[in-house]
Amino acid sequence: MLEIRDLHVSYGKVDAVRGVSASAAPGRITLVLGANGAGKTTTLRAAMGLLPVRSGQVLLDGKPITGRPTHRIVRDGLVLVPEGRQVFAPLTVEENLVLGGYTTSRDKAAETMERVYEMFPILKERRNGPAGLLSGGEQQMLAFGRALMSSPRAMMLDEPSMGLAPTMVESVLGTVRTIADSGIALLMVEQNADMGLEIADDVVVVARGEVVFSGPAEQARRNTSVVRAFLGEAALGA
Amino acid sequence: MIGWYEANLVLIEATFLNFLLALSIQVPLRLGVFSFAGVGSYGLGAYTAAILTLRYDVPAFVAIGAAVLLAAVVGYLFSLLVARLNGLYLAMATIAFVLIIAVLATNGGELTGGANGLYGALSDLTTGGVVAVCVVVAVLLALTERGPLRRRIEAVREDPELSLSMGIGVVPMRQMAFAVSGALGACAGAMNALLRTTVSPEEINFHLIVLALTMVIIGGSRSWIGAFIGSVIFTWLPSVLASAGRWQDVVYGVIIILAAIFMPTGLLGLVQTLYQKLRGRRSAAVTAEAPADDTAEERALLQALGGESRGGVQ
Repeated sequence: MLEIRDLHVSYGKVDAVRGVSASAAPGRITLVLGANGAGKTTTLRAAMGLLPVRSGQVLLDGKPITGRPTHRIVRDGLVLVPEGRQVFAPLTVEENLVLGGYTTSRDKAAETMERVYEMFPILKERRNGPAGLLSGGEQQMLAFGRALMSSPRAMMLDEPSMGLAPTMVESVLGTVRTIADSGIALLMVEQNADMGLEIADDVVVVARGEVVFSGPAEQARRNTSVVRAFLGEAALGA
Repeated sequence: MIGWYEANLVLIEATFLNFLLALSIQVPLRLGVFSFAGVGSYGLGAYTAAILTLRYDVPAFVAIGAAVLLAAVVGYLFSLLVARLNGLYLAMATIAFVLIIAVLATNGGELTGGANGLYGALSDLTTGGVVAVCVVVAVLLALTERGPLRRRIEAVREDPELSLSMGIGVVPMRQMAFAVSGALGACAGAMNALLRTTVSPEEINFHLIVLALTMVIIGGSRSWIGAFIGSVIFTWLPSVLASAGRWQDVVYGVIIILAAIFMPTGLLGLVQTLYQKLRGRRSAAVTAEAPADDTAEERALLQALGGESRGGVQ
C-alpha cells in the first residue's frame, strides 16, 4: 500500500504541489490525471526522494519513507519508472535488467529476470543488444522490466505511453494492468486519460498542484464531465 | 656512450608519474564528474612526502603512503563540501582547490619553504618502485572496467538520477571517486617530489591542470589504457617537437585541436572503432547468412550510437 498524504513541494518560491494526496493498494492502479504543469511528475519525484518535500508524508505499507535518500527508498520497496522511457542506451538489455536488480540478492534477481523475460519475450530475444537500439515500445518494456527487477511492492509510472505509436500505447497499458495484477500497488501518471481510465481502478485529478477530484475510475468513466471539466476535451480524444 | 634508457630516464619516469596524474582526473570523469582536485592532491602529496622525508627521514614507501592517505581523506572531505555542485560549478570549485593548495604552499613559511619550495628530499625511491606502483594501480582500475562495477559506473555516468531510482548509491560512489582521485594525484606528486628531491609551488599551476586533462581527453577517457596512451604522448611530444624550434608551441596546439576534432573518443576510442570496423567487415563476409537481427547495417548503427554516447564529456 502506497500512500501520499497532503504533500507539499516547492521550487524556490513557487509552490508546485500544494497538498496532493493519493494512494494505491496492492493489485490496484491509481491513475493521476492533470494538465501540463499540474504537478504530477513533481509529486512522483518528491515521493521518490528526488526532490525535497516541504511537508506531508509518504507511507509504504504504513511506514513513513518521506525524506529518505532515493537509493534507500528503492530498498524499502518503492520504485519509479521515469518519464521518457529512460534506459542506459550503451548497456545491453540484460545489463539494464541486472542493474535494476541491484538492490536484491543474486538468486532473487536471476529468478525475477526469468519472469521479466517471460512477460516480455522480445527483451529475451534482444538481451545482448544495446538498449539504445530498441524501439520506443520495447524501451518502455525494458524500463518496466528493470523496475520489476527490484521486486518492488509499489511502483510509480510517469507517463508510460508518452511518445509511443497508438498501437504500442494499448499494449504498454495492457502490460501495466498485468503488472498490477501480480499484486503490486501502482500509481500511474498519464496524459492519455482515455486509455488510462480503461485500465485504472481509482483516479486522482490534479490541477495547479491541488487535487480536484478523487474517486473510483468507474465514476470518472461514467461521468466524463469530471475529467472534461479539468482536462479539456482533448484529454478524452475525439 | 650512454644507452637510450639512461639518457631518457627522466622522461620514462615522467611518463609513469603523468599516467597517475591523468588517472586522478579520469577516475571521477568516468562517473561523469568533472573534477581537477587530483591536481591539487598532486601538490598536497608532493609536499607531504618532501616534508616527511626532510624532517623525519622516513623511508620512501612511508612518505608516499602517508601522502596518499592524507590526500584520500582530504579528497573525501572536499567531496562533502562540494556535494551539491555539478558540471561547470563543480569544475570551478575543484580548480579553486588546486589554487588554494598552491597558495598554501607559497605561504607555508618554514614548513613548505615558501616560494622557493623544498630541496634535498633524498630518498630510496627507485624507477622500479614507480613502475611497480603504476602496475598495481592499473590492475586495480582494470578490475573496475569489467563486471558489476563497470555497469554501475556506466549507469551513474549516463544518468545519475535514473541510477538513484534503481537503488544505486550515487553519492557514496562520487565520494569514493574523490578519495581515489586524491590518492592517485598524491601518489604521483609524492613520487615526483622524491625522485626530483625538490618541490616548489610553481609546479602546481594551471598548466598542470591542462596537461592532466589533455592526456585523458586525447588518450581516451574511459579506460586506464587511454590515460596511459595520453601520458606517453604528452610526456614525449615536447622533446620530439623540439626540432620545430620556436614553432614548437604552435605545432603542439595544432595537434591538440586536430585530435579534439577528429578523435572525439580519444586515441583509444579511435583504435577500438577501427578494430571493430575491420572485424565487422570480415565476419560479415564469412557469415553470408547473418541472422536478420544482426546485419552489418545494424552493427554499423550500433557503432555510431556507441561512439556518440561515448564521445565528449558529459
